[in-house]
This record gives sequence, structure tokens and C-alpha cells, in this order.
Amino acid sequence: MLFMNNFRQFSLLSTGMTYLLIFIGGLVRVSGAGMGCPDWPKCFGRWIPPTSLDQLPSHIDPSQFNIVLAWIEYCNRLFGAIVGFIILITTYLAIKYYRHHSRIVWPVVLAFTLTLVEGWLGSVLVDTVLDPITITLHLLLALIIVMLLLFAAQEAYYLDNMDSEKLSQYPSNLRWKFGLLGLCLFIEIILGTEIRGGLEMIRSDNPMVESQFLIDMLGTFKYMHSVLGISILILAGLLWYQLMRLSKNPSRIMQYCSTIVLILIFVQIISGELLVFIDVIPLIQLFHLWIASWILGLVMIQYTAWKHSQLSYE
Amino acid sequence: MNKSIYLIITMVFFFGLGANWVIQKANSSHTIPEIKLVPNFSFINQDGNPFSNKNLLEKVTVLDFMFTSCAGPCPIMTNNMSQLYQSFEEVGEVQFLSITVDPETDDQKMLKTYAAINGVSDERWQFLTSDIESIKNLKRDGFMLYADELPQGHAIKFVLIDQSGVIRKYYDGTEKTSMAVLKKDITQLIKEESH
Repeated sequence: MLFMNNFRQFSLLSTGMTYLLIFIGGLVRVSGAGMGCPDWPKCFGRWIPPTSLDQLPSHIDPSQFNIVLAWIEYCNRLFGAIVGFIILITTYLAIKYYRHHSRIVWPVVLAFTLTLVEGWLGSVLVDTVLDPITITLHLLLALIIVMLLLFAAQEAYYLDNMDSEKLSQYPSNLRWKFGLLGLCLFIEIILGTEIRGGLEMIRSDNPMVESQFLIDMLGTFKYMHSVLGISILILAGLLWYQLMRLSKNPSRIMQYCSTIVLILIFVQIISGELLVFIDVIPLIQLFHLWIASWILGLVMIQYTAWKHSQLSYE
Repeated sequence: MNKSIYLIITMVFFFGLGANWVIQKANSSHTIPEIKLVPNFSFINQDGNPFSNKNLLEKVTVLDFMFTSCAGPCPIMTNNMSQLYQSFEEVGEVQFLSITVDPETDDQKMLKTYAAINGVSDERWQFLTSDIESIKNLKRDGFMLYADELPQGHAIKFVLIDQSGVIRKYYDGTEKTSMAVLKKDITQLIKEESH
């Protein structure tokens, strides 16, 4: 039992650490450190990045060396390795103690497999000098991993706390709304990364053009992102109304998640408009993406809680 | 639960502070060293017009040494130079120079044909020639690049020269990653000058 509880701790730890890794990955991107280490898995041929030019191996062009960018990227890789190790331990605990609970063991095993794929994608990114499609894929996989881990952690919690959603009665016809919201969120994130990728591609072809002009060049893309953002707000608002006002005894977790999701979507709309109409500020760009990943996770928690109430109601 | 939310908000605040520090560090890390002034030289370009070190002033210049019949790394270098030439199409402050290390074969006519093949339509990319001794001296003493066994033994470096005619940095002209760095550095030099 003690170790089973350890699984819950580890699944929460790996979820939190993966969220932090998404933040650090975003930081690498906005600080332009993606090619900070031009080789993989080593950095300038070393396991610890060089601190001066004379430590560079002869086969790497010294013009690529920037000590700050190298260390930013190196910290990202190091943290990625630590997260991978924690997910490995989580997977081990899941297989050992929850092997008969497919709703726990399979998501964790899948999360671990995708973590290995993520490592490989990291090397592809370096080989292709940051291919935009691979960058998007790298992010999407990270989001899927974090959702799988979150799902497994919540399932393990319900296993130990069978009655936590027993008193709650939510409308039963919410499955498609959750599905639609999840789909819209994923498309919104892809659109967002495409806008960023588009910005970088146009910037690469027209290096002297200002960010604001670049945003204007993106045309309909940014409007699609805004319109879908508003649609997501309406959909999440509708879900909030049904889960909070048309339900009996919504659980505290449901109350918190539903409200926080709405607040965060507001924050996203404001930060998104700031990026489009004021300036592309790297720090806002970073939080805009990170908060999007939180919203996705919170909707996942809402859905799992709703699903459990339906099961106990049946 | 309230406590956890406050804790999360505090953590996020500190992450923001940390991230801001990292972004600023990254932004201020792009310093391009000043190496040395390009010495006096006077060559002719593919149109037969003179081109000297004075033509380097007030422009950011990317320069390489090549020869038109080279089958080794030159096609990759020329391709990379061509991509840079296209990227900075709208930017008059940037020019590209390719100096032949085989002046016997690469006379003015040959260089003109080579320029046309590579889609050069204006003065932003010029191909220069002179006598072999002058080229050798400029390469070895002016740019500190290997200049023995020409033409085969030519260097594969791209040289970045600023608006005052000072050499700023060398790049591997065959490396995709180095080209991305070079592009950033060109932009930085132009922006520094305009501020």
C-alpha cells in the first residue's frame, strides 16, 4: 500500500516536472537557444558544454558557439533526462502495483514510450536545424505525455477515494462537449505554433522586417487563432454553466477546475491580443503557450471527474 | 486548496522572473568580436569595374574565396551564399563578395557567366579577380586564411566584415547551422549601426 501511494506521488511528480519541462522547452525557443548545442546528445562533443572556445572539438565550427545559449539548451536536455528518469520510475511502479488496472498502467506505459520518442525528436530537431513541423510535433507529444500522466494520477486517486465523485450529479450529455473542447484546444495550440513558426520563417527570409509587420503578413492565420479562442471561451463557459449550475453537489475539484479554466482562457485572450497588437514579447509568448498546456490539463481533470461521477451514478 | 493556489501563483511568479533573466542573458550574449581591419586592396569585378577596400565601407559584407571550376565544397558554399543573397534581397546595406583563387581560368567573362548562372541580377553580389599574388597576399595576410596550394587549397570560410571594414567573424561556409548564425549576425550589425 505504501508503494502504491508512492505511485500517486510519482505520477504527480512526473506530471509537475513535465509541465516544468514544457516551460523550459518554451524558454529555449523564445531565447533562441534551440541550436545552442549543434550536436546531439552531446553538446559541442562534450557531456558538459565547453566554457571557452579552446575546448571546442575541431570538427565543429567555432562561429556556432555561444556559451549562454549552449548552457540554456544543455539545462533543457539535462532536465529532460531527469524527467525521463522519473517517468521511468512511475512506469515501473504502475506495472508493479497497478498491472490489473488498465486505466492506470497503459497511459503510463504510453507516456514513457512517447518520452523516448521525444528524446529522439530532440535529435531530429538538431539534425534539421529546427524544422518547424518537428518543433510542433515535439510540443504536441509533450502535451499528450502530460495529459496521460495526469489521467493516470487521477485514476489512481479515484481508486483510493472511490466516493469522491459519488455525491456529484452532472448532466450526462457532456461527453461530446468535452471532446469538442479538447479538439478545439489542440487545434488552437497547433494554430498558435504555426503562427510562431510562420513568424520565424518569414523572419528568416526577411531578416530585417519588424515583428509587428511580420504579424500583419500572417493575415488570416491570426484571425483564425483569435476566433477559435473566443469559441473556446464560449464552449468552456457553457461547460462551466452545466457543471456548476445544472449539477448537484459538484465536487470541489470540479468547481476549482471549471473556474480556473475560464479565468485562464480570459488570460490567454488578453495575452494573445497583447502579442498581436502591441509586440511579440518573448516572456508573454512563453506564458501564452505554457498556460495553454495548463488549460488542456485542467479540462482533462474535469473530464475524468465527470466520467467518474457518471460511473458511480450508473 | 487556497494555500496551494497561492503557492502555485508564487512559483509561477518566480518562474517568470527566472525566465525573464534567462531571456535577457540570451539577448545580450550575441556579441560579435572585432578582429582586424581589412587591408588595402584593389581588384576588378565581373563587369570590369574596380572594387577596393573602400567599397566595404557603410555596408555589411560577407566574403568568401572560391573558383568557378571547383567541384569540392565550392558548390555548397555558392549555394549558401546564394541563399543569403536572396534572404537579404530587400536590404541594400548588405553585400556579398566572392573572390576567385584561380584568376587564370576565372577571367572577368567567366565570372560574369558564373554570376548569371547563380541568379545574380544586381551589384549586391560581386565576383572579384586580380593577379594571383595579390589574391594570395590578401587571403593570407589580410584575412589570415590558408593560401598555399591554390586553387584547390582554398579555405571554406565565409568572412563577416562590418560597415567600417573590420573583420568581425568567420563561419564554415558549408554548414547549415553556421549559416543560421551568420544570418542573425548580419541582422545584428545592421541594427547596431541604425541605433
